[in-house]
Amino acid sequence: MKKLFLILLVAMSSFALFAQGSSEKEQVEVKNYTFGGSSTVAPIAKSVIPEFEKKYPSVEVGYETLGSSTGIKQLIAKTLSLAGSSRDLKASELEKNCVPTTIALDGLSVGVNSSVNISNLSIGQLAAIFSGEITNWSEVGGKDMKIELIERDETSGTYGSFNEIVLESQGKEPTKNAIIAKENGEVATKIASTPGAIGYIGMAFNGIITNSGGKILSIDGVEPKAENVINKTYPISRALYVVTLGEPKDGTVEKDFIDFLLSDKGQAIVEENEFISVN
Amino acid sequence: MKKNTNNKRRRVIEQGSKVVLLLCALVSITAVIAITLYIVNQGVPFFSEVSFTEFMFSLDWSPSADIPKYGIASFILASFEVVLIAIILAIPVGLSTAIFLSEFAKGKLSKIVRNTIELLAGIPSIIYGLFGIAIVVPAVRNTFGGNGYSLLSASIILAIMILPTIINISEVSIRTVPDALRHASIAMGATKWQTIYKVVVPAAVKGIVTSIILALGRAIGETTAVLLVGGNAAVFAKYPTDMGRTLTMNIITDMSYAEGTHLSALFATAMLLFIFILLLNFIVVYISNKSKVGAGE
Repeated sequence: MKKLFLILLVAMSSFALFAQGSSEKEQVEVKNYTFGGSSTVAPIAKSVIPEFEKKYPSVEVGYETLGSSTGIKQLIAKTLSLAGSSRDLKASELEKNCVPTTIALDGLSVGVNSSVNISNLSIGQLAAIFSGEITNWSEVGGKDMKIELIERDETSGTYGSFNEIVLESQGKEPTKNAIIAKENGEVATKIASTPGAIGYIGMAFNGIITNSGGKILSIDGVEPKAENVINKTYPISRALYVVTLGEPKDGTVEKDFIDFLLSDKGQAIVEENEFISVN
Repeated sequence: MKKNTNNKRRRVIEQGSKVVLLLCALVSITAVIAITLYIVNQGVPFFSEVSFTEFMFSLDWSPSADIPKYGIASFILASFEVVLIAIILAIPVGLSTAIFLSEFAKGKLSKIVRNTIELLAGIPSIIYGLFGIAIVVPAVRNTFGGNGYSLLSASIILAIMILPTIINISEVSIRTVPDALRHASIAMGATKWQTIYKVVVPAAVKGIVTSIILALGRAIGETTAVLLVGGNAAVFAKYPTDMGRTLTMNIITDMSYAEGTHLSALFATAMLLFIFILLLNFIVVYISNKSKVGAGE
């Protein structure tokens, strides 16, 4: 037994040595940059950063998830040199020379089970449904049937966006009495197979709801289409920005980062993260 | 001289193969130790931020609220509830199948049953989950009302998934009951059925209990299948027909993007799950050590 432990000890410490060896790579002089702000922008920033660092090996970038307002405050205080924001800038922030650049669009569609005989909801009704105040379709003009909510997991950007745009804007909290689906496909399957179900999904995924037999609703009479997000008529949508103090200057890392975000590669990452590309 | 080198070579091969085998055995041990250390290392810091009592006994899980709450009591209860119902559903079927296979089935029929059970054990859990969405959930919805996504649906799927474990281990332990016991019982005038439930099954009881505990371990750790049919709502399920979330579902639901305290809360959940599985394994080891003197093993 003692012998066994000894061998184990040797094995494990040699693992530790290996692990250390690999992290002690020769280091080039790197410059550190800290960006931060909106948690909705975070998944985009965090998947863009490794690609960006590959292209610019002498730069190391971090993104801190602080929320849009805190991010912009820290940008003005010059703690950050670039902030992510999921809301439009306030007049006071624009006065302080904050310059937003749109990097992506965020739009969500609402889908229902085919048994639901409704094709439009107002944003107020939607908020009342997802906060658990309205629990029967008859309260919004449908037939007498219980509403089954299909929500995304709390850590997903889709959940965050929906709550911010639909519920928080109406001063409401999401109810917990909902089926939680982990993936868009699961949302679509569960909407299609559960009578009375309603759920939301990134607009890029409208197809998987209709393909599996669900219906997409219009909201406040506007259909969820990319063009209606761009012309700002569709209510469950918003633009995502990165904000700089003053126009981004050529040759700065911030400008390179924004250019990279707007490049084809950057926008492909935007779409991978289930947002709508600005192109 | 030649004989000498031959001997030497043989010794080297002997010793060498022994060392290689030992190293391979060490891989498993190292893996277990590494996993344990990793989970503990990631999970323990959580308790410096949230009290153990709140974690274990609060029903409120809202990690992304303004004031985050990390209570997993409803998930612990849901895990136990799901596993308990699954085992209650699976024991009668599993045990009966084991008795049938070891005492009655012969020839082609026994081969078909046995192969089917092997197949059942090999089906990936995602398939069980999809089967659940397509068949079990609507059935529960039509029978008990609600939306069908419920702890009960999860239990039914789990019951099917753990059948092979119960059947295989129980069958082997019933089969190893010495024939002398059966013959003696029959000779005393007992019928075949009386022999089975008064003599054979009691003699194999340790193996049967072991099979049930291993099945419990499999059930409590199952994730994908229950995730798809359990509803996954982070609420306390009052009835088995309500939606609920088990420990494994909680870990996998939030794992992809969780950060900071939320992430370490998930590792703390994993730690708890790990402890449950360890306890079950200790019980199995304890039973099999004790049974070395008993009959039927």
